[in-house]
Amino acid sequence: MNIIACYKWVLDEQDIKIVPGSLLLDMSRAKGKISEYDKTVIEEAVLQADKQENATVTSLTFGNSKVKQSLKDALSRGPGKGYWVNDAAADIADGFVTANVLTAALKKIGDCDLIMFGEGSADVYGQQVGPRVAAMLGIPVLTFVAKLKIADGRVTATRKIGDCTEDVTATLPAVVTLLPEINKPRIPGLKQVLGAGKKPVQEFKLSDLGLTEKEVTPKNKVKSIRGYLMDRKNEIHKDGTAEEKVSALLSDLTKEGLL
Amino acid sequence: MAGIFVYSEDVVLLEQLLSVGRKLADALSIEVTVATMYSEEISTDEIIAYGADHVNLLKGKNTWPESYAKAIYKQILQEKPSLILIGGTLRGKEIAAKIATWGMTGLVNSATDLRVIAQNIESDRLLYGGLAVCTEELCDGCVVTVEPRVFEVAVKQAGRKGSVSIVEAETSIETVVGAVCPIVHQRADLTIAEKIVCVGRGLNEKNDMKLAENLAEELGAEIGCTRSIAEDYNWLPTEVYIGLSGQKVKPKLYLSIGVSGQVQHIVGARDAKIIVAIDKNEKAPIFAAADYGIVGDLYEIVPTLIEKLKNR
Repeated sequence: MNIIACYKWVLDEQDIKIVPGSLLLDMSRAKGKISEYDKTVIEEAVLQADKQENATVTSLTFGNSKVKQSLKDALSRGPGKGYWVNDAAADIADGFVTANVLTAALKKIGDCDLIMFGEGSADVYGQQVGPRVAAMLGIPVLTFVAKLKIADGRVTATRKIGDCTEDVTATLPAVVTLLPEINKPRIPGLKQVLGAGKKPVQEFKLSDLGLTEKEVTPKNKVKSIRGYLMDRKNEIHKDGTAEEKVSALLSDLTKEGLL
Repeated sequence: MAGIFVYSEDVVLLEQLLSVGRKLADALSIEVTVATMYSEEISTDEIIAYGADHVNLLKGKNTWPESYAKAIYKQILQEKPSLILIGGTLRGKEIAAKIATWGMTGLVNSATDLRVIAQNIESDRLLYGGLAVCTEELCDGCVVTVEPRVFEVAVKQAGRKGSVSIVEAETSIETVVGAVCPIVHQRADLTIAEKIVCVGRGLNEKNDMKLAENLAEELGAEIGCTRSIAEDYNWLPTEVYIGLSGQKVKPKLYLSIGVSGQVQHIVGARDAKIIVAIDKNEKAPIFAAADYGIVGDLYEIVPTLIEKLKNR
């Protein structure tokens, strides 16, 4: 049985600054990381494989040339092999393009019994690549999964959807998208990090995947990306005793008609 | 231009989608077709009064909403709408992704606004955990989901006319649904709370939740928390954490104690009318998002606040 853990290498949003005035995003100081949601994915793939006989875990990602540095991190978390689709087209890819690329890569890898995704990515949080890939492959998808069990060629998931949970079973091969609460991803130790360097990595170019121009062209036209303008009063009481500060706050709240 | 197609399994959400759907349709002089699952209780007159021109009730053997994706797509193939608006429940998002894939079209999840500019439909959605807004010009036939409570329920127009059809829907059976358990809310629904006290990691230990509870009681507020309080510390149930993947709240007053204010949290609270922050770190990002605040030790400030509220 082969479990595929798909992940995205994203910019750390903590390092993104909004340029005052223009509200443009300054990413010059932003470092890359594996999307937090997808660290959970890799962890779950490894935990599930440990419970099966002869299960392997393979990681798969699509990104530009900088994403190469993610492979060691991904593999230090337990997968035996890493695949990487390397193309700058990833920078502007939408869910449609990403799903086309990953589906083509999965077909090339072959033999995928369970394909795991996060519920969304930490950067654009598009929340669609997992179910899109399932629809393209024509296999079942179980979304927003809080608990997972694999047995007898089937996967049973406890989904958490708004006001209820439900247990849903599908026959493998299948796709699952995971909620972050499903596990706590490990922090790889030095031994795992060193070991990751020796694990096999295979790179695909977009041209290896036989996709048409249309399949790698985003659907919508992005007109602008601007920082969210926080328009608040920012009246912060910093000085004085606790007593004075609380009194000042209470008069603010009274003024707003909140007390 | 063809029409706007609206689907949700949730009738209240449908009424919210109709307010934005009708607005777009009027701007483009096109019609609105609504699809939802058939039920005995559903009032098609109401759906029409809320702005639908056509209502298609999908009648299938399965009660699992996700199994209607193919049937909804079949409707879309007939209608060839310019825009497909789907209620952004988690079930709706799964259906939206499938429909967008089969239709080889785009999908914008969790749109925060939709409008017509020069005969094109544009959407806004959040990026980077709520740090930024992305505006897109949608392709013809794009799928867009809108989450509950983003738009107000449409204004009802008595006497609006529309057509109704009941459609036999084929439902897929590639999955087996077992136990369904309602999530029992141990606390009040935060999404409709008027006042919320939100606790963060500035609290030293679980016992200190008492402080938050006493404050909430004095204010007549409900208690919410950040993700780490619910998921890492398990001090409160996951359904009361506020943030991007948690609850999005719109109270009149949101008052945080010991919350640093990472953007993923703020995005869940910034529709609050007034945001108040109490935290000892002057540089905490919560203060940039706050209307009022106190920089100070919450173990000193909060008891004083409770005391003063009591003596009012």
